[in-house]
Amino acid sequence: MNAKKQLTEGLITNNPVLVQQIGLCATMAISTTLFNGIGMGLSVLIILTCCNVVISAIRKIIPEQVRLAIFVVVIAGFVTIVDLLLQAFIPALSSALGVFIPLIVVNCIIIGRAEAFSSKESVFLSFRDGVFQGLGYTCVLVIMCLVRELLGSGTIGGGLLNGANSFITLDGTGAGFRIIPEGFGAGALVLPFGGFLTLGILMAVMQYALRKSNEKKARKEKEVKE
Amino acid sequence: MKKTVDFIKPAAILLVVAAVVALVLGGVNMLTEDTIARNNQEKVESAMQAVLPAASYEQLEAPEGIDALYEAAGGGWVVQVTKSGSQGNVTMMVGVDTDLKCTGISITASSETAGLGAIASQQSTAGEAFRSQFVGLASPVAVTKDGGQINALTGATITSRAVSSGVTAALDACANLG
Amino acid sequence: MFASIVTISLAAILTNNFIFSQFLGICPFLGVSNKMSTATGMSVAVIFVMTMASAICWVINEFLLIPFGVAGFMQTVAYILVIAVLVQFVEMFLKKAIPALYSAMGIFLPLITTNCAVLGVVLLNTQNNYNFLESVIDGFTGGVGFTVAIVLFASVRERLQFADYPKAFEGFAICLVTAALFALAFMGFSGMKIPV
Repeated sequence: MNAKKQLTEGLITNNPVLVQQIGLCATMAISTTLFNGIGMGLSVLIILTCCNVVISAIRKIIPEQVRLAIFVVVIAGFVTIVDLLLQAFIPALSSALGVFIPLIVVNCIIIGRAEAFSSKESVFLSFRDGVFQGLGYTCVLVIMCLVRELLGSGTIGGGLLNGANSFITLDGTGAGFRIIPEGFGAGALVLPFGGFLTLGILMAVMQYALRKSNEKKARKEKEVKE
Repeated sequence: MKKTVDFIKPAAILLVVAAVVALVLGGVNMLTEDTIARNNQEKVESAMQAVLPAASYEQLEAPEGIDALYEAAGGGWVVQVTKSGSQGNVTMMVGVDTDLKCTGISITASSETAGLGAIASQQSTAGEAFRSQFVGLASPVAVTKDGGQINALTGATITSRAVSSGVTAALDACANLG
Repeated sequence: MFASIVTISLAAILTNNFIFSQFLGICPFLGVSNKMSTATGMSVAVIFVMTMASAICWVINEFLLIPFGVAGFMQTVAYILVIAVLVQFVEMFLKKAIPALYSAMGIFLPLITTNCAVLGVVLLNTQNNYNFLESVIDGFTGGVGFTVAIVLFASVRERLQFADYPKAFEGFAICLVTAALFALAFMGFSGMKIPV
């Protein structure tokens, strides 16, 4: 299994959110500003990578009967570590994401990768899988945030970027760059409604693209045969 | 006999894993505990400085209906009060001067709808404009829809009403101090 | 006391519905809502586990985590273990005691461990400093809210198969768009509360 294949799987063909369709809750809930999206994406990436490595390292001694319980304990441990570190060093992110940080424990992406991948594969492959799947998750979150924030409140990079003084702020106060004048955004997009709608459309776009590329591949194979 | 052994080994491994996790977490907690406590303290203090600047604050016993009450060194009070908004609780700091007028408000915790009620706590022009309406008002404070002075953020006025009732509660609590 | 209970129930079922406004429990919501019968089976299991988990986690937090001073960092680990064990226990109990009910909701039970509505409700209970009764009520009505959402949605989804939508929207995509419309409708409940 080469790195390039794993990367395309994580980002596109086996993307956790758009193709495996797991970990949807947080994706919709927190994707209202870029700050939240990148923060959540990176948190999941770090937790997923750590869990993958640890579970893969101890995969030989995990008894079959209690494997889910062990996965859950390891995951909960890493989630709590990240939670405490965020509270200490990026408190604004911790209060913006709120209960969705501890809820990473039950994010199906992590337990799903543990069950499907890292409990069977070597440490190195699991590490790579964690990074690439995490990247795939982060990409979807960032796209969701960009769409919802731009159309909903008319800005780009809310909470993270600051047009006025320092370029990047980590205290969540950055107002972002205003693209659409205040009051003209479609406010409904930052509401729960917008979360469902944006993800639904994103999924449809992905299915359309994947089908097109599969058809193209099939056609090419047919031509080669003929 | 064999069955008990089958049962004990997985349980023991689970226990070991859980113990290791608990140990690691205890360690991380020790390292971050002080920073977290300091962050929370700083957050409260900067909110108090924003609503009623003073050299120091002394905590008094909080009367019923409010969370915490501080007396500012230069006269006046800072009141922390929580009211329920559209999505959950809205916690705010309210500064009150000796004439029992509001000197400013700062929303320290809320989970209001992004883009609507959440504007109340944002560092934006709209947020500042909303909060500055409360400065100089005496009890009772209400939104225009209820015959008061506050222009609400949205048509539904849920967050604005919560903030108004919080400010009213804070002003009344200080009035009752005598 | 009565007012707070009514407020919590109202929030959990309508204004702050776990699915349509808090985004908790979306995976099982989309996963099992394709048929009315599976949707109701899942709902019963979720109500049961959410109520039990709320009660047990409150007791554990109050009498175990807080006295030992580890509530800050062991909460998530302890809660998820309680839920996992609880689900396992309920499964074993039902299998032996009420086989009929087990065969009706058995397959949904393991899924509940990773239902974020369950962990979500216990974490929110702690965050909001609910007492024992309030926690149990929140857990139970949260489950009822989940049921309302999933049953409504299943009845729409059964008709969705006769709808003529673009092929790219097949599967979860059209469901999410439908759920978006539900979320918009549930917005209408926001702000509803009992004047105290």
